[in-house]
Amino acid sequence: MCDKRRRGSGLAGDFVARSIRGALTFLKEAVFAEETASLPGLLQALDPRVKLASVLFLLLATMFARTLPVLGMLYLVCPLLAVLSRLRLGFFLVRTWVFIPLFSLAIAIPALFSFVSPGKIAASVGIFHITQPGLRAAIFFVGRVTVSVSLAVLLSLTTRHAALLKALRAFGVPQIFVMILGICHRYIYLFVELVEHTYLAIRSRSGARLHHWQGRRVVAWNIGQLWARSCALNEQVYGAMLARGFRGEPMTLDRFRTQPRDWVWLACVTFVCLALTTLR
Amino acid sequence: MHIPDGYLGPPTSGALYAVMLPLWIAASRIVKKTLRTKQVPLLAIGAAFSFVVMMFNVPIPGGSTGHAVGGVLVAILLGPWAAMIAITVALSIQALLFGDGGITALGANCFNMAVVLPVVGYGVYRLIGHGAPRGSKRRVIAAGIAGYVGIVAASLFAGVEFGLQPFFHHTAEGQALYCPYGIKISVTAMVGEHLLIFGWVEAVVTALVVKYLQKHEPELLGQEERA
Repeated sequence: MCDKRRRGSGLAGDFVARSIRGALTFLKEAVFAEETASLPGLLQALDPRVKLASVLFLLLATMFARTLPVLGMLYLVCPLLAVLSRLRLGFFLVRTWVFIPLFSLAIAIPALFSFVSPGKIAASVGIFHITQPGLRAAIFFVGRVTVSVSLAVLLSLTTRHAALLKALRAFGVPQIFVMILGICHRYIYLFVELVEHTYLAIRSRSGARLHHWQGRRVVAWNIGQLWARSCALNEQVYGAMLARGFRGEPMTLDRFRTQPRDWVWLACVTFVCLALTTLR
Repeated sequence: MHIPDGYLGPPTSGALYAVMLPLWIAASRIVKKTLRTKQVPLLAIGAAFSFVVMMFNVPIPGGSTGHAVGGVLVAILLGPWAAMIAITVALSIQALLFGDGGITALGANCFNMAVVLPVVGYGVYRLIGHGAPRGSKRRVIAAGIAGYVGIVAASLFAGVEFGLQPFFHHTAEGQALYCPYGIKISVTAMVGEHLLIFGWVEAVVTALVVKYLQKHEPELLGQEERA
């Protein structure tokens, strides 16, 4: 549902520029997320496990919400938490509305009309009639998606990524998975950097734009080459793991310590979620 | 293909987590049995590879670009069980750290992209490529068809999951609470765009990467012999 298509020229040479831009944006966002996670804000001060649990509770409350006021209240919590966590409000709103909620808004448009949602007519656009159930369904759909995305963005912007992955241990995720997640997370950046460098090299060496067929070959070579490098890297990573004491059983260093404020926060969130879920 | 939070109701999301749990356990056991200790980092690196494959802009006719999921490719390279773990890890990182795909919809996304896509695709690849030498043209064609069939199958499941929402969750007045489209519209939209556009992207990328590896790194295509 989230496959992206972007309009371009008749030839496909600028897929190289798009890939470079995509890689740079990804790396920039990752660095920025680490910076915001280090700010002295409300959510940053919480234990990552408690924070993950509280975001999960809020996500579940959003999922179970059956009235628009409840959804509205849950949405108001998000910018409030962003401000208390010292995130710039404008940035937070842009980050949460682009891309998924806007995409969902586009998806929801046909649901407004009587040919999808029959019912009492609220307004008419030419021969098309917007119905009340259609309007409510579209608001509900986009609202629920926006609240959920806002909560996920709050979590990722206020928690160091490595700590967030380690926090999964508290939810019974096996250690081997947590270890794989940790290694994977590190190598994603290396691979994205490799892709960016390769595409920069292609761009600096190719004078003309490539035909889309040639472009697909270039992408395939790059993916093939990336896999060959991945396999070569496997040997080095294994060597590094052995050097650090790996004996076949995974170990992760958990240095999390909960404090009274974490439990107070969790109790408050649980209470709010239960109250909102049972509210009619 | 990534389903965000809010598209699926709690029973669908919960049921797909419940379906995934035994599959994750089975995948871990099988992979632990077949993978040598030396190859443990390969799972993590394979997961990073699946993550990055989804970021490649693939040119399509008309000047647009699309994104391949690469699930069948990862299954051909790592085997279907290891691919299940690698893609699950990649999807978890996308959902938790980058907001791509929902946290509550992670079970559904893993079912579509880490199970249906690689398992169906790998089955088709084995069926068509059975008995053909590792460097043969038939393997390239098999990879392309497998990529196409795998992604279309995954889109069909995603379409059904969306389409069930108005049936399961609606108010007394009939107003939908989650994805507002019934099964006919959802399946037609999801399968249609994958049959016409993204299936071909997946097919071409999978086939061309297998062709590249046949030519330059044939030993990396030995998964079938290892499995």
